[in-house]
Amino acid sequence: MSKILTVDNINVYYGQIHAIKDVSVDVEEGEVVALIGANGAGKSTTLRTISGLLRTKTGGITFEGEDITHIDAYKLVSRGLAHVPEGRRVFLQMTVLENLEMGAFTRKGDIKASINDVFERFPRLEERKYQIAGTLSGGEQQMLAMGRALMSKPKLMMLDEPSMGLSPILVQQVFDIVTELNKSGTTILLVEQNAEMALKIADRAYVLESGRIKISGTGKELAASDEIKKAYLGG
Amino acid sequence: MTFISNLINGISLGSVYAIIALGYTMVYGIAKMLNFAHGDVIMIGAYMSFCATTYLHLPVPAAIFMAMCVCTILGIVIEGLAYKPLRRATSLAVLITAIGVSYFLQNIALIIWGSAPKTFSSVVPFGSLRLFGGELIITAESIVTVLANIVIMVGLAIFTKKSKMGKAMRAVSEDKDAAELMGINVNVTISVTFAIGSALAAIAGVLLCSAYPVLMPTTGAMPGIKAFTAAVFGGIGSIPGAMLGGILLGIIEIFSKSYISTQLSDAIVFGVLIVVLLVKPTGLLGKKIAEKV
Repeated sequence: MSKILTVDNINVYYGQIHAIKDVSVDVEEGEVVALIGANGAGKSTTLRTISGLLRTKTGGITFEGEDITHIDAYKLVSRGLAHVPEGRRVFLQMTVLENLEMGAFTRKGDIKASINDVFERFPRLEERKYQIAGTLSGGEQQMLAMGRALMSKPKLMMLDEPSMGLSPILVQQVFDIVTELNKSGTTILLVEQNAEMALKIADRAYVLESGRIKISGTGKELAASDEIKKAYLGG
Repeated sequence: MTFISNLINGISLGSVYAIIALGYTMVYGIAKMLNFAHGDVIMIGAYMSFCATTYLHLPVPAAIFMAMCVCTILGIVIEGLAYKPLRRATSLAVLITAIGVSYFLQNIALIIWGSAPKTFSSVVPFGSLRLFGGELIITAESIVTVLANIVIMVGLAIFTKKSKMGKAMRAVSEDKDAAELMGINVNVTISVTFAIGSALAAIAGVLLCSAYPVLMPTTGAMPGIKAFTAAVFGGIGSIPGAMLGGILLGIIEIFSKSYISTQLSDAIVFGVLIVVLLVKPTGLLGKKIAEKV
């Protein structure tokens, strides 16, 4: 296995606020890696920095062996990095189909096959392909956000709180999909507040607290750790 | 007959407002800023067309094309130099900058062309249409303006619905970060929007001055404000809203001029705007889509 993503000692600021402190994260090809932690711990900020929406003051980020620390976000998509942002952020006034087309924005040539792949994975989306995304339910919007990210044929998919605001059945479904995506060859970096579910599917995980990495280990180790149980798994 | 003739004049004036309002509404939709220099780009476009026909003796289509090219470049340069550095600044800073650019353009025009009004000769080579034995006169400028408006609206509707750049513009106007994560170059998309809006401003300038042939450095200011009003009236950010707002505004203005009072017409126009915004703060076609969670 080779490293697909290396985050080396980044420090990110929002104005005066030091949001991310000396964070380092590694992701190997084929893994599911989870970043867990409480609200405001800096999980989303870490993802936003990796995808180029925010900048780090120190350290660097390497994707597939290339330094991407100072590369604009829009240039990373064609390199195989997809980011499903927090709150899904689908284009609410565009149709399901148009949202998928936007996902394939940087691709040249025919995207029909990819659209069919997405519809095969998410049959609900096909039923609603001409509907405006704003009329979809939360679960459907999450499917659309993931489908849209798949359209760029990513090597690494970063998912930010995919289970947020969904019913327990849908949460299970989303995690099943993430596992399936990983099995079909996509490396996953997952940010979750739902630590229990995330640790179940993660090969490895990092726990963020107030902008710092507190502990890291395999999903099993962390799920079994008393400290983690107490802080994040409700006893 | 005067009613019909007023109506036609109103639709024609409103069509000019609508074309200008498109520039405001597209730029607002995508960059979330009010480009108050837009009215002055109209004036520059009209001067360019004037110079091309008067001094360079170019044929009318070439003159209009030249005006569009100059305005397109001007729009991109204004955006790049004045607004792009302020992308993360407060909206008040951007607004003040836009007003500054507006005065800058007016003063440049004052230096180059002086304050004396130029007489703009109409770009429309046909005469007026006389109907009902001369009782109803429709000027050729009105017909051309309304047709131009329809062509532009249909063209833009197709562009934003079908083309890749058009879809990217809609994506950026909805959510810049999400658009960026799709691989869309947001800066380029904003520049293209300014380019399109400014090219349309050139057309509007030529049409406006063909109907009202006095050209001065302040020529663009008032129509610019009115078109901005039209954009808000129709629902800022909405392309059909700009069309509807523009035409309604033109009709209201001409009717108040001919039936109520010429002096009061502007007050009436803005009065109607206030009433509409009190009843429907998002404008006639402005809508907020309900978000389901």
